[in-house]
Amino acid sequence: MSDHTSILRSPLILGNKSYSDVTEDVALPLDRSPGKEWWMAFAVSSSMLFLGLAAVTYQVLTGIGTWGLNNTVGWAFDITNFVFWIGIGHAGTLISAILFLFRQKWRTSVNRSAEAMTIFAVICAGIFPIIHMGRPWLAFWVVPYPNLRGPLWVNFRSPLVWDMFAIGTYFTISLVFWFVGLIPDLATLRDRTTSTIKKKLYGWFSLGWDGSNRTWLRYETVYLLLAGLATPLVVSVHTIVSWDFATSVIPGWHTTIFPPYFVAGAVFSGFAMVLTLMIIARKVLRFEEYITLHHIESMAKVIIATGGMVALAYLTELFVAMYSGNEYERFAFVNRMFGPYAWAYWIMVSCNVLSPQLLWFKKIRTNVTLVFLLSLAINVGMWFERFVIITISLTRDYLPASWDVYAPSLIEIATLIGSFGLFLTLFLLFTRLLPMIAIGEVKGVLSYGRTKAHESAQERRKAVVLQENVPGGVA
Amino acid sequence: MMKNESHNHDFPEDFGSVDRRSFLRLAGFTFAGVALAGCEQTRIDKAIPYLIKPEEITPGKASWYASTCRGCPAGCGILVKNREGRPIKIEGNPDNPVSRGGVCAIGQAMVLGVYDSMRLTGPVMNGSPSTWENADRAVAETLQNLASKGSAVRILTGSLNGPTEKFVMDGFLRRFANAKHIVWNALSQSAILDAHRQTHGTRALPRYRFDKADVIVSFDADFLGTWISPVEFTRGYTERRSLKGTPPTCSYHVQVESRLSLTGAKADKRIVIAPAERLALLQELHSALTGKRAGPEMARLAKRLQEARGRSLVVCGSNDLHSQLLVNAINQTLGNYGATIDLESPSYQHQSDDRAMHDLMEEMKEGKVGALFVAGVNPVADLPNGAAFAVLMKDIPLVVSFADHVDETAACATMICPDHHFLESWSDAEPVDGVVTVNQPVIAPLGNTRSLMESLAMWSGRQKNALQLMQEAWFRSVFPRRKAGVGFQEFWDRAVHDGFVNVRGQGNPVTRFNPPAVRTSVARPGIDGFTAVLYPKVTMLDGRHAQNAWLHEIPDPVTKITWDNYAILSPATAEKIGVMSGDVVRLTLPDGSATLELPAWIQPGQHESVIAVALGYGRKGTERFAAIGPKWLQGRPSTGPNGLVGVNASALLQFENGAVKYERNGIKIEKTGRRSDLACTQTYHSVDSPPLLAGEQRHRRPLVQLASLEEFAKDPSAGSHPKPESRSLWPEEHRYDGYHWGMVIDLNACTGCAACVVSCQAENNIPVVGKDEVLRNREMHWLRIDRYFIENEGTTDVVHQPMLCHHCDNAPCETVCPVQATVHSSEGLNQQVYNRCVGTRYCANNCPYKIRRFNWFDYPRDNEKENMVLNPDVTVRSRGVMEKCSFCVQRIQEARIEAKRRGTTIRDDELKTACEQSCPAQAIVFGDLNNPETRVSMFAKDPRQYQILAELEVRPTVSYMTVVKNRPDAKEQDNV
Repeated sequence: MSDHTSILRSPLILGNKSYSDVTEDVALPLDRSPGKEWWMAFAVSSSMLFLGLAAVTYQVLTGIGTWGLNNTVGWAFDITNFVFWIGIGHAGTLISAILFLFRQKWRTSVNRSAEAMTIFAVICAGIFPIIHMGRPWLAFWVVPYPNLRGPLWVNFRSPLVWDMFAIGTYFTISLVFWFVGLIPDLATLRDRTTSTIKKKLYGWFSLGWDGSNRTWLRYETVYLLLAGLATPLVVSVHTIVSWDFATSVIPGWHTTIFPPYFVAGAVFSGFAMVLTLMIIARKVLRFEEYITLHHIESMAKVIIATGGMVALAYLTELFVAMYSGNEYERFAFVNRMFGPYAWAYWIMVSCNVLSPQLLWFKKIRTNVTLVFLLSLAINVGMWFERFVIITISLTRDYLPASWDVYAPSLIEIATLIGSFGLFLTLFLLFTRLLPMIAIGEVKGVLSYGRTKAHESAQERRKAVVLQENVPGGVA
Repeated sequence: MMKNESHNHDFPEDFGSVDRRSFLRLAGFTFAGVALAGCEQTRIDKAIPYLIKPEEITPGKASWYASTCRGCPAGCGILVKNREGRPIKIEGNPDNPVSRGGVCAIGQAMVLGVYDSMRLTGPVMNGSPSTWENADRAVAETLQNLASKGSAVRILTGSLNGPTEKFVMDGFLRRFANAKHIVWNALSQSAILDAHRQTHGTRALPRYRFDKADVIVSFDADFLGTWISPVEFTRGYTERRSLKGTPPTCSYHVQVESRLSLTGAKADKRIVIAPAERLALLQELHSALTGKRAGPEMARLAKRLQEARGRSLVVCGSNDLHSQLLVNAINQTLGNYGATIDLESPSYQHQSDDRAMHDLMEEMKEGKVGALFVAGVNPVADLPNGAAFAVLMKDIPLVVSFADHVDETAACATMICPDHHFLESWSDAEPVDGVVTVNQPVIAPLGNTRSLMESLAMWSGRQKNALQLMQEAWFRSVFPRRKAGVGFQEFWDRAVHDGFVNVRGQGNPVTRFNPPAVRTSVARPGIDGFTAVLYPKVTMLDGRHAQNAWLHEIPDPVTKITWDNYAILSPATAEKIGVMSGDVVRLTLPDGSATLELPAWIQPGQHESVIAVALGYGRKGTERFAAIGPKWLQGRPSTGPNGLVGVNASALLQFENGAVKYERNGIKIEKTGRRSDLACTQTYHSVDSPPLLAGEQRHRRPLVQLASLEEFAKDPSAGSHPKPESRSLWPEEHRYDGYHWGMVIDLNACTGCAACVVSCQAENNIPVVGKDEVLRNREMHWLRIDRYFIENEGTTDVVHQPMLCHHCDNAPCETVCPVQATVHSSEGLNQQVYNRCVGTRYCANNCPYKIRRFNWFDYPRDNEKENMVLNPDVTVRSRGVMEKCSFCVQRIQEARIEAKRRGTTIRDDELKTACEQSCPAQAIVFGDLNNPETRVSMFAKDPRQYQILAELEVRPTVSYMTVVKNRPDAKEQDNV
């Protein structure tokens, strides 16, 4: 088959797929038994998860003392991981909501898994504020609910309460958005499957989808509205998370630049994580034709942009610290760069500022291996960014007599590994249980970049048949 | 008098089976407990009311008993707080004429000792528990035999100065033809007494009057920390530096020392010398005073001393007779005898006689001793050749130890007849001539122990209890010395009530000054190798309280290290031999007879030739602390590789000319290549930014204000940092219509002695966390003392800054707590609500002073006996909650209830926080800032007052006062 392409637009989906090809290709991993690769990945990730579970169980039973924290450093790995995971989630919302509103059609291949990633990342993130509490069994006290204790209300001035609202909202909207997006695909699966149990389950979750025009119309409306609802969350969640630090009095935390800085960083890290996952998934699940180099390149471009913002934020922060005349502030930043944790600062700078600059070169950003490695570097760098901000600022604040150092305990390291285990396990299960690519949406962009005239009659006929019979056809 | 029955009724009968939780619940049965009664009904049913209520006990109300602290020989006056029959807190007795309301860290910690579960509970014979009948029979039989044979009977004790103690001792000694009482202290001041025998014809320790001294020169005497009577001296010293009046009162204090001591840290001028140079310098000073030639430094010092004739004081902490003779000659020249040195009514606090100890060992070697009684000392651990002493003890037919633990000496004794803890027994003391203090029991003995006096009386054939003995002794020897004509009963009751009685002095005949035959010229000896300086730590002294966990966990005031002793090196020496803090070094005696391996610590302010090692560590029994902290995966023990806390350094001591020498020349030092972490509570020691990070303009954080006396006399606000103006856009958030509690800490008075730290620990049920947790910087003390080295043009000042919750009016911790577990009271208190806390630690992160403490674990409180020390008015915090200084809110509440009962407001003098009450320097003042009449308001108006981090607009209610150093001539400051 020759590659019939438009001169102006390159097709988003390669391989001259027909509608039924799409359904078949995407549903295939759900039907066949998983391969050796999947099982190996699952074994590793679930082992990591169990290690983390054991660590958290031990910590909750024994006390926060099993972490490396101390009187000076009250937050380190816990909140670093929390902010890191929240940041990861951001790419999903950005791709599914903002890119949707901006009619970025290339998003269709990656939005489903990016959204799934968002949800899993928020789950990972949400665990940390709970387990970091000295008495996690009382975590529900941060929720304002009518109670018999007075009633005792929460402190609405505390950024941690704002966090609870922000993350709660974010998780709920992301989940609903993801689920609504899944409905047409669930119906497709329901119609395809031969297993009665699966049929029941898919049937129940597809909420009686019938593929009629009216259904499609309402679906589209809801999807658009949800996208509109989710859009402000891209900005709000990380803004609020950054207020945990910005509203405090600690030098290095008390910084007004934090909200935009954190949002840019979140999108930056989120895209890096999407790239990491997509590059593996397209290879393992053979989705190269759906997640093309074009997708990878687009995401790399977003990384260049957001990486630039992050670099600007770093520089602005330094400039303001030096220019402010506040000696404590100035010291906090000099200490970051040249103090006992300078290595962490320079890891952050090299991963987040220097490494994305390589993506300016087309050769590099179209080299899947290199992009994969760079995405890993950015993930590491963004983790260190949070560590630098949170931990280094705490180690040396106002009174030199209370300065201290921090080193993670084994339990903390195991918990971090466990959070990755949870994330990967959930993602692996997701690739087995749900269509990783939005079938319905991809079909919508199938013709993008193709010139109809050049399509073979056979293909056209096939398409017409599908359009008529298969729910989830062209909208 | 107090007869304690409540102790038996306080708890349910099945006390032994009550678990930790229900104990705590019972202990917490106070007004707080009552509020919770609804939730805890089943448990509270077990709190059995008194069937017959003891007259003096009201549940929930504390009784106070005046007594005497026996934590060290200084004998400070104390008040013991009793709740439901249990002593739970020791405070200073403000009426006591010697200690005047102060108590040191050790005194504060004594209340833990009474509940020590490892204390012996009954007599031990040949290593197995026995009964008093058997013990008495055995002693009586042996003594009978010895008396018939005429063998020597020797009693070895620490300084005993109580009239009853002497009376009983004399009665016992009289029974034998050849009996002698030997007084020896591990921290001996023998040379001072011997020197006075030569120069003044009386072997006595004079009473030093720092409260009368305007110029103080101290040669190695750590009189604010460990020397003779630190509480008394601290009070006198700080009074003389009060900066009151015009011109301001401020003594001039020069410390000539080889290592940085607590006292040296306060000095206006420090002269760092090698120990071997001391004698030469004293000689030079003496020459300068007698108009002979001397170096410029000593000449200048002599001039200052001469200007203050009769108001000056030269003291020396060395146990070297020649040094002490010279000091006496200097003080005589300056006319200080009868003025700042009272030899006519001397001190009886230290009466050690090294020569007698030496003679005892000779006698033991010759096999002449038939019976040895050891009380209050531990020669096997403390003597330079303790092991030899232990071997000699084996040959003595009867060795009776009165130790309360099986210490090194008791382990070699035939029999241990454990003495009561001093809080359980009657006794008395006469710390200084004319002041006889009473020590009364505040709890019935917890074990089957017997007072030393009762034991001795029993063996003298007089079966009397301690109270009877005491009254008899008082009737004979104290009552006749009374000043006012009262009957004995009235005299006695008054004394027991007050805790002391002022009587006529015993009189100390002093002969005309006999100039000592001092060597006229002392060449400065060349220093070969290093000199080991063996010193006592403020918290550990000679190690007699090595079983006390509170004392181990107090950071040393100078090094800030807990749970260890170590070899202190000067930075130059450390660099020379390539040692870093924490490297284990091996110290070897010149003849190779003993080695000592311990971690090094680098400390400025020490002479390059000196290696300073604390005594009192490596004690038998400290194995118990191996498991003191929380147990978890990565937890490590509080003990060292030898299984003990620290190492015993007494092997480096030396008997020379019949006196114990605390300095040993010719020590070799080498690295072992191993490391041992030292649990230091500070990682950074300066107010300046680290030089590597700050570049050329080092930022000095405005935490400590320093001024010279000259500047201060001109402008009382000298040294002030610019006060930030309040720039808030918001209206006042809190109004204080009633009280507004606040605190001012006078850094000029504060010596950093850590008494407040322990006082706070005892008052507020603060757990001990162990070395490993301190290493992880998780010490729980609500009040810590920050110690900074401040460098100025060649001088290094040491400033101690007590740091506690500042109870900010705009508290950053309050806004960030998601569950309102930390809230502001209408009286300005920043209150922590433990029940509500979920433990996010956000408040601690956002505290600029980093004074919040988190319960990282459930700290072990499994020991039922030791739990009895808990203050029932203060909640014991569980794991996962934040805690911090409450300004002793329970005391505020108590005072409020009392004031309400009277129908008035709280008086300024009836409410003191625990830290304030115990401060020997009276550096802490707490009270109502709204009332302009209170002391705290006066202090707050003082030009020296300043707040730290006020620029953050947090509005702290704790403030500090400028340190003023008496430095007339800046050019003099070139020797530190």
